[in-house]
Amino acid sequence: MKIMILFVSLLFFFPGSTYAEKFLDAPVLPLGSVTQKTDARLEMKTSQSHDEVLSFYREALKDAKDIKFRNWKDATYIEDDGNKPWHSITVSKGGETGTEITIVKDNWTWIIGTLLLRYVGVFMVLMVLFLGMSLSGKIISRSVQKMDSKKAAG
Amino acid sequence: MTANEIMDLLYGTLRTTGIYNFQWNLVIMWGVGCLFIYLAIAKKYEPLLLLPIGFGIFIVNFPLVPLMGYSHGHAQLLQVFYHYGLEWEVIPCIIFLGLGAMTDFGPLIANPKTLLIGAGAQLGVFITFTGTVLVGFTLKEAASVSIIGGADGPTTIYLTQHLAPQLLGANALAAYSYMAMVPLIQPPIMRMMTNEKERKIRMRQLRPVSRQEKILFPLVTAGIIALLVPSVIPLMGMFMLGNLMKESGVVARLTDSAQGSLMNIVTIFLGISVGATMHADKFLSWKPLFIFSLGLVDFAVCTIGGIVTAKVMNLFLEEKINPLIGSAGVSAVPMAARVSQMQGLRYDKGNHLLMHAVGPNLAGVIGSAAAAGMFIAMFD
Repeated sequence: MKIMILFVSLLFFFPGSTYAEKFLDAPVLPLGSVTQKTDARLEMKTSQSHDEVLSFYREALKDAKDIKFRNWKDATYIEDDGNKPWHSITVSKGGETGTEITIVKDNWTWIIGTLLLRYVGVFMVLMVLFLGMSLSGKIISRSVQKMDSKKAAG
Repeated sequence: MTANEIMDLLYGTLRTTGIYNFQWNLVIMWGVGCLFIYLAIAKKYEPLLLLPIGFGIFIVNFPLVPLMGYSHGHAQLLQVFYHYGLEWEVIPCIIFLGLGAMTDFGPLIANPKTLLIGAGAQLGVFITFTGTVLVGFTLKEAASVSIIGGADGPTTIYLTQHLAPQLLGANALAAYSYMAMVPLIQPPIMRMMTNEKERKIRMRQLRPVSRQEKILFPLVTAGIIALLVPSVIPLMGMFMLGNLMKESGVVARLTDSAQGSLMNIVTIFLGISVGATMHADKFLSWKPLFIFSLGLVDFAVCTIGGIVTAKVMNLFLEEKINPLIGSAGVSAVPMAARVSQMQGLRYDKGNHLLMHAVGPNLAGVIGSAAAAGMFIAMFD
């Protein structure tokens, strides 16, 4: 009984230190219920609020390097830019029935996809510049021609 | 004074010397530093940078030298250069100011479709990123290593300092070493990727570009980059400012300073600061060695990317582009353009490709900056 009381009080006062479980080296919130679990994905639900869950993860990841917290409209997205096995932890916001947590494995689909998008992005930037230069070149060439023809006529 | 006191005094003095604190791994770094000094002086490989880098490597790899640390709460000499020049990302931007003041964008303005070649030549950057992650680098490290293929020293330094400052020395050294080796690396790839007929394609002489166009170009470019890739505007903004100063023709003194004395001053600080980051403790690991070998692959794939882009464009163009200028999309200005010229002349004595190749060469500078901006946006 004493041990039970001690355990529960530890959970209550030190939530960040009592997680015994990790998924792909990502800390897993204790007292959450798992709704889906595969080798590459873990989905959980908890009655704790978004802010409580977020403070758990901030505490649990405070010593980790290359972790980015992104504040989106519907969720907080925690991304690992290092080489941990997990890629992201999404903590939902504003749920009436509680907070959903999704931990996703690092995957090549995300890496290849983002690289492809960014390579295309480089083309887009230079394409816009090409269009800008072509347009400004035409406008200036015409005005220079007009000025030259006026000078020649005058 | 007793004998013991004398011995204590001598021993205490000995402990403050480098000899007492000597480590054998420092000898390897002396060799690395001297190698780059040799390449700079004897082989004339990028001497403006490899000489101070080599010396920086050499001088910091002695025990107890007060150069890259703090003493009595104050930063030591090279730490000051490093902190204010590189950590604050000032030096790469000032170098770009000087480069802009030296650059004539006429060939690019006359043939703006070569901008796409500059974009295509960034292929190696993104492919190398994948390979680097596979080997165990973090995503940020992979981004900083892969930008080496863009062959742009200041951009490499800017991005590396932003994302993975621990790799600054190795990345900068790899970038400048491979830039110097462009005439060795590119020709075999150019021959492999093109056939005899393609190499002999003659391109129409470029149209004359008016002064007004040259003045408008830096403003249009800076505006577009600021809107689309704002994270690299410190670099590209300074590049365009330098060019605007040059093309305006009304601030000759400023232009002369930017491309002359200012450029020379920051080059000294850049070189020695970069070299000073390469202490044996940080450099002698598998990562810098891997960076050097991967940098070569990166360079090669970027060259291939530029040539393939030119060939793809030819499918849609009536007036064909000579694919040999595609390799100039690797922004080793002006060396890559000269290599295109030399290869073109090799197959057709009357085929002068230099001015045509300058366009993609300069486009590569903008392309590699855009690629760096994409990586910064990925992590910010």
